[in-house]
Amino acid sequence: MDYLLHLVIFVLIYGMVALSLNVASGFTQLISLAQAGFFGVGAYTTAILGLQYGWPFWLNLPLGMGVAGLVALPVALVALRTVEDYFIICTMGMGVILFSVMNNWVELTRGPMGIPGIPAVSLFGHPLTEKWEWVLLGAGCYALVFWVANNLKRSALGRILVGISEDEIFCQSLGKNVGLAKLQSFVLGAMLAAVPGALYAHYVSYIDPTSFTIQESIFVLSIIIIGGMGNLWGGLAAAAFMIIVPEALRFVGLPGGVAANVRQMLYGAALILVIWLQQPKPTTGTVESGPAGRG
Amino acid sequence: MLQILINSLASGATFLLVGLGFSLLYNTVRFFNFSQAFVITSGAYAMFVTVIIWRAPLWMAIIIGASLASAIGATIEIYVFRQLRLRRVSSWGLLLTSLSGYLILQNTISLLFDDVTRSVRLGAVQVGHEVGGAYITDIQLLAIFVSMIVLFFVMFVLRTTSFGLAIRGISSNPELSVNFGISAERTILLTTLFSSALAAFAGMLSALDTDMTPTMGFRVLINGIIAMIISGVGSYPSLVGGAFILAMSQHTVVYYFGSQWMDAVSFIILIAFLSCKPLGFSGRRLKKIEI
Repeated sequence: MDYLLHLVIFVLIYGMVALSLNVASGFTQLISLAQAGFFGVGAYTTAILGLQYGWPFWLNLPLGMGVAGLVALPVALVALRTVEDYFIICTMGMGVILFSVMNNWVELTRGPMGIPGIPAVSLFGHPLTEKWEWVLLGAGCYALVFWVANNLKRSALGRILVGISEDEIFCQSLGKNVGLAKLQSFVLGAMLAAVPGALYAHYVSYIDPTSFTIQESIFVLSIIIIGGMGNLWGGLAAAAFMIIVPEALRFVGLPGGVAANVRQMLYGAALILVIWLQQPKPTTGTVESGPAGRG
Repeated sequence: MLQILINSLASGATFLLVGLGFSLLYNTVRFFNFSQAFVITSGAYAMFVTVIIWRAPLWMAIIIGASLASAIGATIEIYVFRQLRLRRVSSWGLLLTSLSGYLILQNTISLLFDDVTRSVRLGAVQVGHEVGGAYITDIQLLAIFVSMIVLFFVMFVLRTTSFGLAIRGISSNPELSVNFGISAERTILLTTLFSSALAAFAGMLSALDTDMTPTMGFRVLINGIIAMIISGVGSYPSLVGGAFILAMSQHTVVYYFGSQWMDAVSFIILIAFLSCKPLGFSGRRLKKIEI
């Protein structure tokens, strides 16, 4: 039972990362491979503040979001000057740089040794130890992030973002500030990624840089592509699918190292399959139920 | 200091090889094909199997590695990317497919050969030849030599042969070239074969120099791509400069700060170039403005 709840918590955490990536790239279809890096920035910020200074989780969480936003701002300013494939390569570079910093700034992050013994979250003086309490916390945070993402989608900014994905130059010609919209969504996406990062750090209680590699970014990207770019509920379903299916490997009895390889192969295959089956002009996820003229 | 220069020349030569192969390919298919990273790795592992397991001579390894890599590159091209192009998948769709394809294939290599470092070093480590207080190994000399020959060969092919003309045509205007009777698919396939062979050479040289792991191809390819972008896409001779600038900055940083920053510095160079000189230093355009 605890194992199932553990899986639920992981689905919620990665579902949140997927939501944040949807905010950053799902609406605009500007693919970012730096998201795991921002997820890691959130995790490291709360872990270091919580462990070394003993600050409470509720203070660290907004701080983590702030730090992730601050890191994302220059990243966005540089990366958004490039287009299409170069944007992907550029964000991939940012991901590698963030990983290198986590891995090599040993004084701050302990490098590859990781940070063990991160304290559990305390709620009103009561430390969360039971799995179901974590599920509730995760679901609460998920609902909050979902609310933000969903409201963004319906807002004026969200409409500009969807417009960018369809025709950026036309959008610009209507007098919309395309650059600012992209910047806002990218930074907001990074800040939202810090929320699951903080939860991850406190839940697992141990973090090391290998959880925040480019492969993780590709993993999260495959979640939102399978769920449909910009489709928020689809992201949750895809996160559940992508986390639970590889867990089945555990029961087949593959040794740990092999299972890790097979897991990567599985999500690579899932990504290819989804791209293969896509309609010629991919607008999946942005066209949603509801009358076209609403809002 | 001279040592840094020599090391940069040698690794720059490898980057040049990858960059040449990759930019030929990129100019015809117009997306970043990351499955080439696997082609690089496969060249190196083919050499490992031939030389260490079968105990065959090195020249045989080079032939086997290059043909295997070409076969793999062509297979992926025919059965994956050609099909996706027919379905009009966008260039980021192709990029992500190639990246996932790379993940699948790289993990296959990990399963077959384990995630450990393999070496093809023959006999004891050689000190190399002394040049004014610095050392240069045979492998490094070989790398510089091979890449120079390949560069001249590529320039020769592009300038004088009909295949080269087809590549240049497809690079500058695919629709018009097709109207003039150049088969785009055939050109792309031939380019894939050729650039996969170059990728295999680069993989083998890199493996001879610094051993191999299943993920080596990605690092080698990324360096090639960065060299290509900073020198300006579509300009082959200036790749020499791009590869050398990249190698030089890597070795300088490694010398002063340590090798763990090597990956980061390549990307910092790339990002600096993309934000200051998005056309690369040769001034060729990255992308036409579309209206």
